[in-house]
Amino acid sequence: MKQQKKVAELLLWTVLAIILGLVISFAFLPLLGVNPVESLKIMLSETFADKFSMGNILVKTTPLILTSLAFAFTYKANLYNIGAQGQFYVGCICAVAVTLQLQTKVPGPVVLITACLASMIGGGLTGFIIGFLKAKFNANEFLVSMMSTYVITYVMQLLLRTVLQESKHEYLKTDYIDNSAWLPKIINGTSVSLGIVIAVAAAIVIWFILYRTSMGYRIRVMGFNQDAAAMSGINPKTQCMLAFFISGAVAGLAGFTEINGMQHMLLTGLESDIGSYGIGIAIMANANPIGVIFAALLFGTLQVGGTALGHSTDAPASVIDVMLGFVMLFVLMSFFVRKKLEVRSMKKQKIQKGEV
Amino acid sequence: MQIFVNLITRAIFMSTPLVLGALGEVLAERTGMMVTAIEGIFLVGAWGGFIGAYLSGNLLIGFLLAMVCGLIVSLLYGVTTIYMHQHQIVMGTAVAILVTGCCTFFYRVIFGIQTVPLKVNILKTIKIPLLSKISIIGQAIFSQNLVTYFTYILVPIIFFVIYKTSLGLSMRSCGENPEAADAAGINVTRTRFLAVAVAGCLGGIAGAYYPLCNVGMYNAEIIGGRGWIAFGICFLGNWNPVGALIFGIIFGISDALGIFVRAMGTSSVPSELFSALPYILVIVLTVCRKQFNVPAKLGANYVKED
Repeated sequence: MKQQKKVAELLLWTVLAIILGLVISFAFLPLLGVNPVESLKIMLSETFADKFSMGNILVKTTPLILTSLAFAFTYKANLYNIGAQGQFYVGCICAVAVTLQLQTKVPGPVVLITACLASMIGGGLTGFIIGFLKAKFNANEFLVSMMSTYVITYVMQLLLRTVLQESKHEYLKTDYIDNSAWLPKIINGTSVSLGIVIAVAAAIVIWFILYRTSMGYRIRVMGFNQDAAAMSGINPKTQCMLAFFISGAVAGLAGFTEINGMQHMLLTGLESDIGSYGIGIAIMANANPIGVIFAALLFGTLQVGGTALGHSTDAPASVIDVMLGFVMLFVLMSFFVRKKLEVRSMKKQKIQKGEV
Repeated sequence: MQIFVNLITRAIFMSTPLVLGALGEVLAERTGMMVTAIEGIFLVGAWGGFIGAYLSGNLLIGFLLAMVCGLIVSLLYGVTTIYMHQHQIVMGTAVAILVTGCCTFFYRVIFGIQTVPLKVNILKTIKIPLLSKISIIGQAIFSQNLVTYFTYILVPIIFFVIYKTSLGLSMRSCGENPEAADAAGINVTRTRFLAVAVAGCLGGIAGAYYPLCNVGMYNAEIIGGRGWIAFGICFLGNWNPVGALIFGIIFGISDALGIFVRAMGTSSVPSELFSALPYILVIVLTVCRKQFNVPAKLGANYVKED
């Protein structure tokens, strides 16, 4: 009962913070001569106008769930994987390379399963390297994962300019993959593919690992108190490498759903923001894997709405970043306010009971 | 020989903002505050610097505005992390997203849509008489711009402040043992807040270096992770201003090498790898360097018990 009240309170505060963030960013719009009330109307009507654009919300949500899970998982172990963007790119490269090699040679489902595994292993190994450097050399994982994204971005550009480039050799992108290697669409008349199901399933699996297995328990204990964990026989080094492998694999999976489910090719600069958005989403959801699904849905809606706003008014697409930034800021501040109030009410109770 | 002089000149030129940003970071991290907002501070500095310089036609006003912008962002970061006890890494990411959005948005508010990129005249190099005639070293070191000279003067000053003054001692004790510092009557929150504010000012100037001293224009990708490299330089330089200077120059050399190789254009090594070199260097050096003299409470928020 008390637990339920706490969750309800957390939700209430988060929703309030989100609304405040949106109101403030809309208040900036008159500076560009755009009417904020009108643009809110446009945003809502365009976003929920038809099946196709509502489907787009799910399309945008898919990779966000996965990159956000990647950050949330290591965050539970008090480790910081800021490099989900890079691991996502590695996943993309693996998925597209495997698909281009295997398509038309073997049946579609086999291609899909191989590409899926390849993207997860690729992303996972990238994550593992970071975890390994942290465990063996005590390298700062925050710094290394941050830098790995930049390195991988350049490597991807190099690959797209050379071995992976389209047969016409015109742009920095790969050939389209064959229809047989596309993830099947699950809703007619939209671009929603099986990817969203995979992403939600991944969130549930991550939740299960964290809260229902001994491995997840060890990871969470490490997050609470690393010394206590080491005392009770948990090897922090093994856990670190494991946590980073799983985290990277989840981010890599986003590459698979994006390539085989949505883009059907790899091009330079693909979804270059989902790494940092993923961190924002994980924070909003307080790193809870199930909460991540809903927070990602909100981000997805904002992205689609923001793009619609950019098309039909003078507001630039960067207004999405302003919105997301303010929303994140206020959600973080709400954590502080909530804690402050909690401490105050606890003190009051103690005084009433005459303990102080 | 001339090529070598050019290379060193270029390396020092490119290392300036990195050293400057890293110096601010050293100051703040010595008090236990990781300024993870540094990428955002660099970006807002570049933005403010360009806007100020373009609208007023005066580079000094550009740098001043950059400093103010950097200060504002660092204050936001400081209030939320120091007074509201939010997680430093998480907060840094939030600030980075917010700043990225706001910079692009307000650039649009001020200038509208531009088909041709706006330009400002970049800061001139000043050759110091006599000294710039010394062969090689003198030629490279003493024909730079004012910001570079300022940075190199700042290195010994910050070293002196951190290691030789009582202010430096109280700053360091806030990073090593805030409880003890508090018991000794040092105001931990205020010391940390001040250090973050100084880091914000220096970071703002460092960010403005890119549009005002290097390329003469602004776009949203102008920083592209350079703030994080300055952050890394602070780690690699062992939280020491002199270390920051040394590693700053190493990164300057790698930057300059990349530019030279691309300019020659006859390389068998792909240019992407040269662009990635600084980032690879951070990873390799982070792994190789041992025995860090990390401030004990780096990144941990200090909550005073009442």
